[in-house]
Amino acid sequence: MNTTMEHAISVHAASRGNGPAAFVRRLLKNRYVLYVVSIVGLLAIWHFSAVSGTYSKYMPTPGMVLNELWRIAHENLAGQNLLGHLWSSLHRVLIGFAIGSVVGVPLGLFMALNRYVNNLVKPVFDLIKPMPPISWISLAILWFGIGEESKVFIIAIGAFVPALINSYNGIRLVDPALYDAIRMLGANRWQTMVEVTFPAGFPALFAGLQIALSVAWSCVLAAELVSARSGMGFLIILGMTMSNPSMILSGMVVIAITAYLITVVLSKVEKWVCPWKVELTQ
Amino acid sequence: MTHVTIKIECRNVAKIFKQRGGKVQIPVLDSISLSVVENEFLAIVGPGQCGKSTLLRIIGGLETPTTGNVLLDSKEVTGPGPDRAMVFQKYTLFPWKTVMGNVEMGLKLGGMAKKKRREIAGHYINLVGLQGFEKAFPHQLSGGMKQRVGIARAYANDPKVLLLDEPFGQLDAQTRYLMEQETARIWSAEKKTVVFVTNNIEEAVYLADRIVTLEGKLPGRMKSSYVVDLPRPREHIDKKFLKLRHIITQETELLL
Repeated sequence: MNTTMEHAISVHAASRGNGPAAFVRRLLKNRYVLYVVSIVGLLAIWHFSAVSGTYSKYMPTPGMVLNELWRIAHENLAGQNLLGHLWSSLHRVLIGFAIGSVVGVPLGLFMALNRYVNNLVKPVFDLIKPMPPISWISLAILWFGIGEESKVFIIAIGAFVPALINSYNGIRLVDPALYDAIRMLGANRWQTMVEVTFPAGFPALFAGLQIALSVAWSCVLAAELVSARSGMGFLIILGMTMSNPSMILSGMVVIAITAYLITVVLSKVEKWVCPWKVELTQ
Repeated sequence: MTHVTIKIECRNVAKIFKQRGGKVQIPVLDSISLSVVENEFLAIVGPGQCGKSTLLRIIGGLETPTTGNVLLDSKEVTGPGPDRAMVFQKYTLFPWKTVMGNVEMGLKLGGMAKKKRREIAGHYINLVGLQGFEKAFPHQLSGGMKQRVGIARAYANDPKVLLLDEPFGQLDAQTRYLMEQETARIWSAEKKTVVFVTNNIEEAVYLADRIVTLEGKLPGRMKSSYVVDLPRPREHIDKKFLKLRHIITQETELLL
């Protein structure tokens, strides 16, 4: 009892003290300090393992990757520089995502609102749902060739599934008490839909579009890895055939950053269109 | 009172809930007959699960009675409508609408021009003491404030009848007292016919002109009726108040 008390007091005193231990403790409480440690640590381990030579032939240092990034940003590879390839991929993503959500969202809404549509579509959808979109790739190439259409088809399938599921669930899971409230205020069927069904289902629908976009982004890479003459997936394959691991890693870094930026932009858009949503802070 | 208009009349209302395709039948209400006169504040008191909320929902038109019917101004109730307004225990504000957006919703549905409905909604936002919060979203408000919005939303639609379903059940004791005072004040400022459902006898004595108690088990049946003939504003520690509260408590089984 006594010792634990003393221990507690000494810990307390240390956390308030001015010694080096207290300084470190205060430093660690600031999460950005550990964020920096984490990133710098990764780069350091990467660098030294590359330099130490075990896999050095195919393991470039971070500096080499940075150099390579600079090179492919300015030099043309298969007719385009890095930005050109990035745009090729984004272009496919946007088209496929647009098709997938334009089909998926209204279908999900109709299924949620109408029992007959639901019973008609749901069995087929449940069959398609568990198939990974990539598994369509061979069929897509046979149907549409190796051009843009087959890639857009894969992306559209990938985006379609989460877009449909989320708009469907978003509408079905609306709190029934909100319907009571709007009906008591005198709403007719159409007004109920406009004032409650859609706004209440919107956050889930939007979350579905966010998932759809990130699925679309991974689908485009897979499609480009199989067959393409442009795009980020093509760049990675080019790096492989040219035995240039710096190029592969440069491509991977750009892909990750792009995916991250898409998420950031979408969450900003969400805050703008759903200002009522409660923010979840860390 | 020389001229008394009967506003609501429940005639032999019974309700049986069916589950599993009618195999399980749960009788919730049985032979409820009562009437509410114009501008009367009626409290329906009973323990949890005695069917009192179901009765209120039947008056509101959100449920249909299995037998019997409800008349509003001598016309049978067939569904919900803006002639009645309900305040719910769980607030049920529209989270995507601001305070103003919630309060003006009924008028908007009725097709009123924006300027006019904003004016009316503003009046009721002031009446419930929420001026300055017009642009706030529900998630930014406390429980008591949310229910003020619920009351303002109900009042703004200018209903003939106000239905309150345990409106203060989710509030802490202190806020609850405050909201009871506020409700009495608002009701005095703008008289309405009110049906108020609660499991709190003190609350009923504080607010109501008349109290109807339901039996403490399903199906809910009428048990007793009390006229609360105390001057307003009422005091919780007034002798007559305490006496009446004691009598009703003695005669009501508030088993949960």
